[in-house]
Amino acid sequence: MNTSSPFARGLDDIRTGRRSLLKLVGAGGATIALSTATGAVPAWAGRSNRRAYVLVLDGCRPDEVTAPLMPRAAALRDGGLNHPFASSMPIMETIPNHVMMMTGVRPDRGGVPANSIYDRAEGVIRDMDRPTDITIGTVIERLNAAGHTTGTVLSKEYLYGVFGDRATHRWEPAPIVPVSGHAPDQFTMDAALAMLEEHDPSMMFVNLGDIDRVGHSDLTGPLSLRLARQTALAATDLQVGRFVDALKASGRWKDSIVIVLADHSMDWSRPDSTVRLQPVMDADPLLAGNVVIADNGGADLLYWTGDPTARDAAVARMIALAVATPGVLETLDPRVDTTLRTGPVSGDVVAFCKAGWRFTDPDVYSNPIPGNHGHPATRPIPFFIGGGHPVVPRGASASAEARTLDVAPTLATFFGVGTPKGGYDGTSRLPRLR
Amino acid sequence: MTTLHRRTVLATSVAGAGLAATSTTTLHAAAAPPSSMFQHGVASGDPMARRVVLWTRVTPVPAATPGSGVGADTNVRWEVSRDERFRKVVRSGSVVTTAARDHTVKIDATGLAPQTWYFYRFTVGSATSPVGRTRTAPDEASSPEHLRLGVVSCANLQAGWFSAYRHLAARDDLHAILHLGDYIYEYAPGEYGYGRSNVDIRPHDPAKEMVELADYRRRHAQYKLDPDLQALHARYPFIVTWDDHESTNDAWRDGAENHQPDEGDWHVRRDRSHRAYDEWMPVRMSDTADLGDGTKLFRRLTFGTLAEISMLDLRTYRDQQVHTTVPSPVPSPDAEVDDPERTITGREQLDWLKDSLTAPAQWKLVGNPVMIAPVTFAQVPKDLVGPVNDVTGILPRDGAPYNVDQWDGYTDDRREVFAHIRDRGLRDVVFLTGDIHSGWACDLPYDAATYPVGDSAGVEFVCTSVTSNNLDDITGTPPRTSSLAVEAAIQSNNRHVRYLNFDDHGYSVFDLTPARAQMDYYAIGDRADRTAPSTLIASWATRSGTNKVEPVAQPIPQPIPQPTTVPGPGA
Repeated sequence: MNTSSPFARGLDDIRTGRRSLLKLVGAGGATIALSTATGAVPAWAGRSNRRAYVLVLDGCRPDEVTAPLMPRAAALRDGGLNHPFASSMPIMETIPNHVMMMTGVRPDRGGVPANSIYDRAEGVIRDMDRPTDITIGTVIERLNAAGHTTGTVLSKEYLYGVFGDRATHRWEPAPIVPVSGHAPDQFTMDAALAMLEEHDPSMMFVNLGDIDRVGHSDLTGPLSLRLARQTALAATDLQVGRFVDALKASGRWKDSIVIVLADHSMDWSRPDSTVRLQPVMDADPLLAGNVVIADNGGADLLYWTGDPTARDAAVARMIALAVATPGVLETLDPRVDTTLRTGPVSGDVVAFCKAGWRFTDPDVYSNPIPGNHGHPATRPIPFFIGGGHPVVPRGASASAEARTLDVAPTLATFFGVGTPKGGYDGTSRLPRLR
Repeated sequence: MTTLHRRTVLATSVAGAGLAATSTTTLHAAAAPPSSMFQHGVASGDPMARRVVLWTRVTPVPAATPGSGVGADTNVRWEVSRDERFRKVVRSGSVVTTAARDHTVKIDATGLAPQTWYFYRFTVGSATSPVGRTRTAPDEASSPEHLRLGVVSCANLQAGWFSAYRHLAARDDLHAILHLGDYIYEYAPGEYGYGRSNVDIRPHDPAKEMVELADYRRRHAQYKLDPDLQALHARYPFIVTWDDHESTNDAWRDGAENHQPDEGDWHVRRDRSHRAYDEWMPVRMSDTADLGDGTKLFRRLTFGTLAEISMLDLRTYRDQQVHTTVPSPVPSPDAEVDDPERTITGREQLDWLKDSLTAPAQWKLVGNPVMIAPVTFAQVPKDLVGPVNDVTGILPRDGAPYNVDQWDGYTDDRREVFAHIRDRGLRDVVFLTGDIHSGWACDLPYDAATYPVGDSAGVEFVCTSVTSNNLDDITGTPPRTSSLAVEAAIQSNNRHVRYLNFDDHGYSVFDLTPARAQMDYYAIGDRADRTAPSTLIASWATRSGTNKVEPVAQPIPQPIPQPTTVPGPGA
């Protein structure tokens, strides 16, 4: 298969005629490129008026959605159905949780347990940014098959990559900020609004990445000040406001649900609060040279690359050594632990760090950023459903725990497109349709 | 708690002795007729979705007084009904009670429907008990819109009338009563009463400190004769835990401040107090309503996806308090309160609590007998240090910045709980606390020194005492005068303490929805007044997910609003 970059693969889709390209001038004056799957049904061919939008505030903490900082998001939450007890699922990283949102199943069924894995077949540590990494159908294909249209507006290159050409309409994101690999929220929202206006998909999946990226790099985070972060929250809130305003101005609001959530939370660590497991493993006679680690910020995935028959002993040793390392909260064997459900792709041992710590593997400079997630401290997320559709309760809160993987079953329920073979692991968060 | 130490009490009780004698007649007038079979009322407790504990005590012959060991085995029939007239009896049975269990009756009524009001009664021959009302918890899988609890602690019968109980019994919007300990007191008449002079509004029975099993039984019986307490028990199920005074002051694993060598072996004495508690309280100990099968009190009660309550026992497993500075200041060993080897919960209970906090329920409530919020050094006016310590024990005379009887004296356990909350990304942890005879609303900072910069692990609401003395009682100053300076000083040094009231007695009402938890603080009038009124004095709430308390202008609405849209799982 093509192992070049996600954007290069996307360009191939267009060059080879699998997708057609439409260039528009967005609100900011910049060119916006939207591609559409060749042969897709026309946008308004006998579809219902029902619309659903999923806005992911990447890395947002639930306690940050407050009226002074994020008035538009807070108003959407307070006027709709809030889930104050909502959680990201292991590994609390961007790609797996976006995949869980669209598949509705845990990674042992969906195929994507982490951002970064050790690919045993290729012998490399890589991001899970390939369309083939998702091993089960998503709600996007399910909606398409039922005659609806879908759209993805994903600001991060690896998300663009992993969802590939599944959606009817796809934003071809540019410009991308070179260092962080994601487009600023204003460009993302320009694209979302252009797609809304031009193609009006039944369901749109939008990732706003600024809160996360600024959180990662906020050097005041460990001091609990989070100065840059607060600016990003306010700026992203403006984009949420633009989207709501567009729905209301275009008359779509009364037919819409708007699911707003985060993929994970954010935790900050001081430069001295780092955990390195690679040298710990390499110092052990049994393990030396036979452990590869995929660093996921708050989680390390450890892979045994030695003699497969020695795996059990190796796992026991890895766990014993990791648990004894300062900053490690717990270590789990994904094949034994029943709560993790990350599947074999996540390696032989999953190690989580404590709050206020981060992993940096294999090298001390591998993870220099203060803001991290992936560990249990970063499970709390905002999760609320706004919109004018009558199915949305007004000003209600629900006590049941909502999870990222509840998004797909919520969409499937809203559109009445049924469940995949084996059912969803998640649960619809809407009241039953009347 | 460190209320009044024995010597202080004895020294100050003389002035009140005369008054105490005159109030004795009041007590006897209040008691039920001694010939009645069911003098001690009825009670229910520990509501679960399909079961609830029912309790009473029978007096088969007049001589079968509590603690007497007299009286024949007695067959007692119990009935549970959906209606007050018992036309629809849904469960019934009979049990034999004996003098060996002080003629108490405690059964676990099973097979009930969730979230349902029931009526219950007991009969012996032709004698019928008063009718009690109780309510089961919601089904574990359900998502209730509300949970509403009355919250009380520290009811010293000698210090006054239980108006707090009377006002709670008059409400019709509660689901249960949470009693956070010091349900009875051990002191002899004249030892710990009303106000500065320790006047006994009502003297204790027996007229001695309770030490023997018969003493504990008689004291429980005396409290159960109180009409206000009887009314509250008959109206709502109780969820109880003990603090120290159910055994004796400042109890710990192997002793107590108020246990002297001439009172015998501590563990023998404590076993008696536990036995009497198991006999006389509507509670499941070691998870059953049976006697003699263990006295483990820490336990969980679930209210659908909305909440789980973990009730703590912070007396049975704790290490000894470090030496306190009251009444004679001694250097306080900082290192000792931080010693990781010292525990307030015991290892097993701490692990159990950590498990509780990861429950799938939204709100993790902790029934917490002593305060967990740190209270650090405060520049309190010098003349008030003694009185404040008498009521709370939290202030330094020599730089010892804590009440070492609460979690401040066992900081490693607290650190472990808070670190667990942070490491696991847990939310909506609410400690509901009694013990220190004052009302508080606090955030629970990870670092109190820098707060409000930094995060909070949860919140704590502390209810005041039903009657036990607090600051103005001890200083002898009018309410809301000298205490204001102390409260301001403590709050300015502890920015996570958002609300503090050292003067009032009363009760609280705690209301829970998926959106927020709110505590309304009610004060009663004079404890010496049997008909004291009740006034709402403050309302504080925490919105879900914030881990912070904030003042709210509106009290909890009455009655409970009808459920609006309850989002159930979709197809």
